[in-house]
Amino acid sequence: MIASVKKTFLSMVRPKWLTGPIFEKELRVSSRRRRNYVLRFFYILLLTIFVGMVWLSVAEYQGDVTYQRSRMAAAGKEIVMTIVFFQFIATQVLAIVMLSTAISDEVYHRTLGLLMTTPITSLQVVMGKVLSKLLQLGLLLAITLPMLAVVRIFGGIPWGYLLSSFCVTLTAVLFAGSVSLLISINNRRAYAVIIRTGFVLLSFYLIIPLILAALMGYLVPLFGPILNVRGFFSPWRWALLAHLNPFYGIMANTERMMSPGTRGMPFIWPVHCLVMLGLSALVLTWSAKIVRRVALRQVTGQLDPSAGGLKVGRKRCRDSAPVAEGRVKRVIGPAVVWKELRAPLIQGVDHRNSYIGLAATLGMLLLTYITGYLDRSLREEFWHVSYGLLFVFIGIIVATVFSATRITTEKEAQTWSLLLATPLEDRDILLGKAVSAFRRCLPIWGLLAGHVILFVLVGYIHPIAIFHLAILVTWLTCFVTGTGLYFSARFARTTSAVLASFGVMLSLWAVGPVLAGLLDLMGGSIRGGLLTKYMLIHPAIQTQLILAGAGGAANGRAALAELQYGERSVLGFSLEEFGLSDMTFILTVTALAYVGTGILFFFGAKRRLRRNIV
Amino acid sequence: MIEIKKLTKNFGSLIAVDHLDLFIGAGDIFGFIGPNGAGKTTTMRILVTLMEPTSGIAFIDGLDVTRKGKEVRRRVGYMPDFMGVYDDLKVFEYLEFFAAAFGIEYRKRKAIVDGVLELTDLVSKRNAQVDSLSRGMQQRLGLARVLIHDPKVLILDEPASGLDPRARIEIRELLRELKKMGKTIMISSHILSELEEICDRIGIIEHGQLVFGGTMDEIRPRLGIQGKVRVKVLGDSARATELLTALPQIHQVETVGDYLSVTFREGEQADGVIARTLVNGGVDLVYLQPEQLKLDDAFLKLTKGIVH
Repeated sequence: MIASVKKTFLSMVRPKWLTGPIFEKELRVSSRRRRNYVLRFFYILLLTIFVGMVWLSVAEYQGDVTYQRSRMAAAGKEIVMTIVFFQFIATQVLAIVMLSTAISDEVYHRTLGLLMTTPITSLQVVMGKVLSKLLQLGLLLAITLPMLAVVRIFGGIPWGYLLSSFCVTLTAVLFAGSVSLLISINNRRAYAVIIRTGFVLLSFYLIIPLILAALMGYLVPLFGPILNVRGFFSPWRWALLAHLNPFYGIMANTERMMSPGTRGMPFIWPVHCLVMLGLSALVLTWSAKIVRRVALRQVTGQLDPSAGGLKVGRKRCRDSAPVAEGRVKRVIGPAVVWKELRAPLIQGVDHRNSYIGLAATLGMLLLTYITGYLDRSLREEFWHVSYGLLFVFIGIIVATVFSATRITTEKEAQTWSLLLATPLEDRDILLGKAVSAFRRCLPIWGLLAGHVILFVLVGYIHPIAIFHLAILVTWLTCFVTGTGLYFSARFARTTSAVLASFGVMLSLWAVGPVLAGLLDLMGGSIRGGLLTKYMLIHPAIQTQLILAGAGGAANGRAALAELQYGERSVLGFSLEEFGLSDMTFILTVTALAYVGTGILFFFGAKRRLRRNIV
Repeated sequence: MIEIKKLTKNFGSLIAVDHLDLFIGAGDIFGFIGPNGAGKTTTMRILVTLMEPTSGIAFIDGLDVTRKGKEVRRRVGYMPDFMGVYDDLKVFEYLEFFAAAFGIEYRKRKAIVDGVLELTDLVSKRNAQVDSLSRGMQQRLGLARVLIHDPKVLILDEPASGLDPRARIEIRELLRELKKMGKTIMISSHILSELEEICDRIGIIEHGQLVFGGTMDEIRPRLGIQGKVRVKVLGDSARATELLTALPQIHQVETVGDYLSVTFREGEQADGVIARTLVNGGVDLVYLQPEQLKLDDAFLKLTKGIVH
């Protein structure tokens, strides 16, 4: 009797009822993967760099003992804040990456259907995957706990802040991972899952609140009295919205820690954590339902594992029907370029949907122009810098993804050896791939060009910006395409190529400035020479310089000699003023360096083209 | 047409191909046989310039594959063991893409593509999406692709794998057609009995080394296996056994079911003697049939290390 009660109790306490054997299997496999150890190493390295930089920036001041103690307290708070924010961002990114192949790998290796022939439930599959990754991320969070505890002693950090930040981070990680897992069911390629998850989270955390803010700011005053919608945006509803957003939560929490007594929007972190847990539960339950359907399709042979998940299953069913006669397109021009451009812009999305997406983007852009026109902000250079940064940021992402996937997708589809067995020169194949990667980025660069040309005509941007932006886009395209093609030729898997390419971009344009700043600090000159020089060749800073210097109503119609660059700060980084010739010189030198590096990568890709053939 | 001399390919410490020597004459169909991991695919990939050998040399149509890669690729049609298709193209577009890649002029392409579609019996699928084709049809499409530039040499890595019996027979018929067209074909397969029927010569490879190369007739003495015939007689088979055992050319007579299995001594072939002896001895002979040494048997014996 006692043994039976004990057994029942233990079975309820053990998490196995929720995860099944999947949890153990995932942990076992994870422990054998080298990349997980590399990931942890870089996580700790980056964290150390950030903390070291903050420490140096805060603790280097000299003075009497009392002043130094107060500085130590400030340093403690800033270090804790750095760690908390670093963990908050890094663990969410890692959760998305780690769960990006959670289900698609099972589909691709044809093991999902097999799992469904065992007593394991689809919920156990989903929970086993999520919780095993969450455990690993929890370990990463736990690594910093001793450091946080030590810093707390001399920093005067309340325990409550550490606890609340830990919980907000953990629930945000769970939600991000759940969304990634859900999207991985229908997408085979990890990079596609990562980008789509990023877009979903960005919409959920930023775009939807921004739209609501825009509605509140512009539409309510216009239509509020007619539609009686003003009451909808009462403060408590904003507070409710804030409880759906972990970014707001972590910032509100930190603000209270840094400046006790300030009163902001009400934020109760346990409520937020419960809301995020509830949302994650919903996403995971939905995932379990879809996983079961996909698994059943696989078991019954309706799924093509080489292509994707549920959506593909439907496609296959459709394809098994009699084939409709369609128009055949003749091959015109270089074969590789023709083939690359024949495929739809987005995998799995036909040309019609691509055009609809482009039209929707143009519509949204027009809406923001109308909004900007109404409040006269289009006259400000800040507005144009923001647009420029947005287009350049998206352009870099799109160019990286398209160039890094050009060759690996062929390797994965096992068509690469067929292409290499033709008499096409390696150089021609690579050029074809490069041209197609550029052609696929044209809509983004077209939007940037369209924006600049439109406002040059209106007189809100100086025409010289077209020339400067053309130089910027040229070197960005050459460098990003060369890098992407190199990694695409080097790696067999698309995900590896995309991550390696993004790794180069992040190292150059995110970690590089931090290191440069750190070196400057060690040299004793804050914002000194190295960081300034480094930032001058940063694409975001160059975009800012070009559009802040030549944008806005004041600059739009100015004479060339009157244009001044560098005095305005938009990204929190400003320089001493300099003229047009200096700006052109900086851009030209940067372009030469990056184009040269891009060409070197291109030749590296050519050398590796016939290696690692699948 | 294909000549390989002391070809070696190492992957780190693994020797995939080990001093391989091979010759395939023009117009031959050569069956390349070996267990998984024996080095067949690696050899074929070196021949089609997808890999460089660690040492040794290989020629196709007199051209060194490592030095004259582009020229070799023009002369060779290669079908890999796992072949992907571009899932966003139609059958005609797929073939025309490769026609363009092989440098065929625009105005000639349509006729050429239609020609190979007819040869491979894919005309009805001309406008179908390639990823909607069945496995058998995709294999046919693969063959159509390798023929698009009219190569002298076809290198086919397990073209019949994963196909149902009907599709395998169709592929075999197609290969016979190609042989009639004068193509030199190197084909590997795990369906060994199929190679036996279409190949002029076979090569058996294990651990990267050729353990046998020659015609089917040459394989018997090489293996040291005596020839066998099946003999079926009417009535008492004991009398027949007695008569045959007395013959000096006969090594052994066994009763297997309703017939006798007669094994000759090494180097002997005495079908005529058997028939004459039985008829003269008053035994009613129903049939006398040579027992063929099956390729599967040779494969098993050779890859067990019986022949070194």
